[in-house]
Amino acid sequence: MLMKLAGGRIHDPANGRDGAVGDLFVRDGRIVADPGPDPGPGATPDEVHDLSGRVVMAGAIDIHSHIAGGKVNIARLLMAEEHRAAAEEPCGCGVGIATPSTHATGCRYARMGYTAAFEPAMLPSNARHAHLEMADIPLIDTGGYLVLGNDDLLLELLASGAGEDAVADYVGFMLNATRSLAVKAVNPGGINAFKYNQRRLDVDENGPFHAITPRRILTALAGAVQRLGIPHPLHLHGFNLGVPGNVEATLDSIAAVDGLRLHLTHVQFHAYGAEGDRKFSSSAARVAEAVNRRPNISVDVGQIMFGQTVTASADTMAQMSNTGLAHPKKWVMMDIECDAGCGVVPFRYRDKAFVNALQWAIGLELFLLIEDPWRIFLTTDHPNGAPFTSYPELIRLLMDRDYRLARMAELHPALPEHTILGSLTREYSLGEIATMTRAAPARILGLSDRGHLGPGAVADITVYTDRPDRRAMFEKPDLVFKDGRLIVRDGVVVSFLQGRTHVVEPAYDAKIESWMARRFDERMGQRLTHFRIAEEEIRGGTGLIRHACQPGPF
Amino acid sequence: MASDRPPPPAVRPVVHRDVVCPFCGLGCDDLTVEEEPPSTLAVRSTDCPVARERFSRTPAAEPPRVAGVPVPLAEAVEAAAAVLAAAQAPLVAGLGTDVDGARAALALAGRLGAVVDHALSDGLYRNLAVLQRTGWIATTLAELRNRCDLLLVAGPDPAVPHPRVFERWVVPAPAFQAPPSREVVFLCGEPLDTTRAALSGFPITVLAGDSARVGDAAAALAAALPDPSRASGAAGIAAGDIAALAERLRTARYAVVAWAAAAFEGPHADLTVERLVRLVRDANRHTRCAGLPLAGHDNVVGVNQVCTWRFGVPLRTSLAGGVARHDPHRFDGARYAAVADAVVWVSSFRPEVPAFPADKAIIALAPPGTAFADEPAVFIPVGTPGIDHAGHVFRSDTVVALRARRLIDRGLPDAATVLTAIAAALPQEASTC
Ligand code: SF4
Repeated sequence: MLMKLAGGRIHDPANGRDGAVGDLFVRDGRIVADPGPDPGPGATPDEVHDLSGRVVMAGAIDIHSHIAGGKVNIARLLMAEEHRAAAEEPCGCGVGIATPSTHATGCRYARMGYTAAFEPAMLPSNARHAHLEMADIPLIDTGGYLVLGNDDLLLELLASGAGEDAVADYVGFMLNATRSLAVKAVNPGGINAFKYNQRRLDVDENGPFHAITPRRILTALAGAVQRLGIPHPLHLHGFNLGVPGNVEATLDSIAAVDGLRLHLTHVQFHAYGAEGDRKFSSSAARVAEAVNRRPNISVDVGQIMFGQTVTASADTMAQMSNTGLAHPKKWVMMDIECDAGCGVVPFRYRDKAFVNALQWAIGLELFLLIEDPWRIFLTTDHPNGAPFTSYPELIRLLMDRDYRLARMAELHPALPEHTILGSLTREYSLGEIATMTRAAPARILGLSDRGHLGPGAVADITVYTDRPDRRAMFEKPDLVFKDGRLIVRDGVVVSFLQGRTHVVEPAYDAKIESWMARRFDERMGQRLTHFRIAEEEIRGGTGLIRHACQPGPF
Repeated sequence: MASDRPPPPAVRPVVHRDVVCPFCGLGCDDLTVEEEPPSTLAVRSTDCPVARERFSRTPAAEPPRVAGVPVPLAEAVEAAAAVLAAAQAPLVAGLGTDVDGARAALALAGRLGAVVDHALSDGLYRNLAVLQRTGWIATTLAELRNRCDLLLVAGPDPAVPHPRVFERWVVPAPAFQAPPSREVVFLCGEPLDTTRAALSGFPITVLAGDSARVGDAAAALAAALPDPSRASGAAGIAAGDIAALAERLRTARYAVVAWAAAAFEGPHADLTVERLVRLVRDANRHTRCAGLPLAGHDNVVGVNQVCTWRFGVPLRTSLAGGVARHDPHRFDGARYAAVADAVVWVSSFRPEVPAFPADKAIIALAPPGTAFADEPAVFIPVGTPGIDHAGHVFRSDTVVALRARRLIDRGLPDAATVLTAIAAALPQEASTC
């Protein structure tokens, strides 16, 4: 079947289109080249959508959103009041605002024009659960980033003086076995140290058991990622999350990888200074400057928005220190399987609270000061900073300075003297939004046939009415296509389909497996063969999309 | 005279190695199971009574029945759908099934607007109630095995429901501890002889207080943590013993407090759990300590996970009107059975099913050979995950999911297939969102 999307204003940064009017043709779920003036047999469109005057973009992609896995389910359990009270649409989607059910997650993403979202904290031991859960998120593609860097086996390997090859083999095995798309490091070394009752660990301090420094873990993982040729750079949840003055550790991490590619996630939580009478200040400008200067660095923001949410993180060391701020006053910590941990703390960001207001401003400063929209990504670290459903509001804040200033004026009165936000005049263009939410995420994850609208691309397409109120525009696209099928019309899900699971399968030396098998038998109480997730387990065997790795020297 | 005919070929048992056991939530994945034709299974590698008994029950398939009359599967499915289409207040319960079975059961429940619950969620709820009220600090089995230096077992010996818990998770030497050390304290519970034998190489302390008052003992311990010299006795345990244990908790490097809440006595056993959780929390002011709530027969943990991710709320939820409403009291399956007019009972791990009130229309999915007090309206024999078909089950610690594999083929359908077929046979309605 040939479908024609006629006369829309196409924002397709990957292919250099920024609002030029044109047609798109879709056949068998993919974009095909313009069949030309003489269509020939079979090229007459079976279906035509007249999009004149409307804005057309690829389906949006969220590179960092906690949508599945053990901590998300704990968060759902903990948010019982919200889930009991929350009104839901009577469609059997399930409940939840900060931690929606899998169905609500898929529906809400699709209704906002998103066609993929990635779970950024999949623990090795919990990967099977995360995949089972992701398979129940309808409409969008998913995938997981594997959390390494506090796993006792890796730390043991590093402490034994194993070379870079062995580390890369270990990482390569783990990515394959757990069906992951990328590697994430969460407070490397810190979660492990917390299990020995250490409540902080400096970047150059040896861990309590394995005698390895966080810096060594960080560089080893960044190196392994590059050596294996994994498209996405090491996805780093840095040190001292949320602690005033942590900007030094953030800048130090950038320096530590010494030119290797590194993605700093929810960098808003890592851009804090300790200046001023409140000992809490914005260091967004310093972070932005470092990012602007170094093309090997990318970030996502983890913007906070005001209201009730729940923070869910593998970083038990940081989360334990936040438990005093829990709202409501309950929280869960877990030490997990010699892998990592999990800390779930409900939280309410208040617009009249100075610290929260400044966090909000720091996030926006980062968005506006980091120049290259290919290296900064729109996230709220859902649900940590805010539920992902607040993206349209965030987009309006980025695109509309007057709105931003008006909003700022409603916040804590001391805010203006602590932020340069008022002086920042930048307004994101539609093309930049398309870059940040489509083209760039696809590129940095190595999803070569997503995030753009060129021939061969998967026909994940979102169509908007161009409204001056950008929030209204991005909240409710007119049409959303997934794999060439119309799934949303005027904000209503009109057909269900299942997404797919994106993975990488880097090559590694299988020698590492006998070492690992022994360790698994002796320590994990699990056979390595059972740890490995079979292809048939991913969406019943039909779900995998593999992305190429380009191993090379570094 | 010697026969010159060759001897008949010896019937060699098929040996399955590294079998995953799906039954109690401990996740043992090292079983050797022998299969003797036709389809008799015998566990050879462990004495675990639960595994031995459950694997060995593999009677031949039998046909489904409607009102006691054997019928083909398709007919039974139609009959089940007809019963359910007419029901005003259906209950989908039992839910002894793997992840796929849970998905299918919950989808069916969604279509019916039914209440959902698991047969064993009483024990689960004693823990969940506390998790929802206060949260907790918990750990998982491999952390116990590799990091714990002080294991405090609260209440009745968890080896009763989870026979290999000590053998597999406590006896192996801790790998991530220097120097390795481990001791076990039993608080208000007597270890089984098998537990004592398994732990023969370890220092063991038994503080055999009143098992119904383990919560009091936990509270006394928590109170004694800041200053053990001021400890008072509780639950029949002397003040001096409480003081000594409080002191040990303070100085342990990584203490684990384990309990099997299903075995706690008394109507408000969740309060016992709450006090244990508080003890763990307080101990973390001094050192590291984590709780280990053990539960999980018949994949109750996994089914609860699926329910939570699918609807945003755990089991004991009503899906009437397409809206998920969670109420652990009102929608407790045993309680709701009194008002339900039709019950879908899924029990693919065991052939024991409860006696239902006489006026209910029962659709039972259970292993062949299941004995019913009263013949159900529809009985559909189904296979057991990990025996007749592959299936995902969750370990007790809620983190690790395992894929149990298929060992034999008795020609039994899995619960997911049957439940999906029943849903498909219901009058269709448009799905929107
Ligand atoms: S302890 Fe539990 S999981 Fe292990 S063999 Fe026995 S029943 Fe199976």
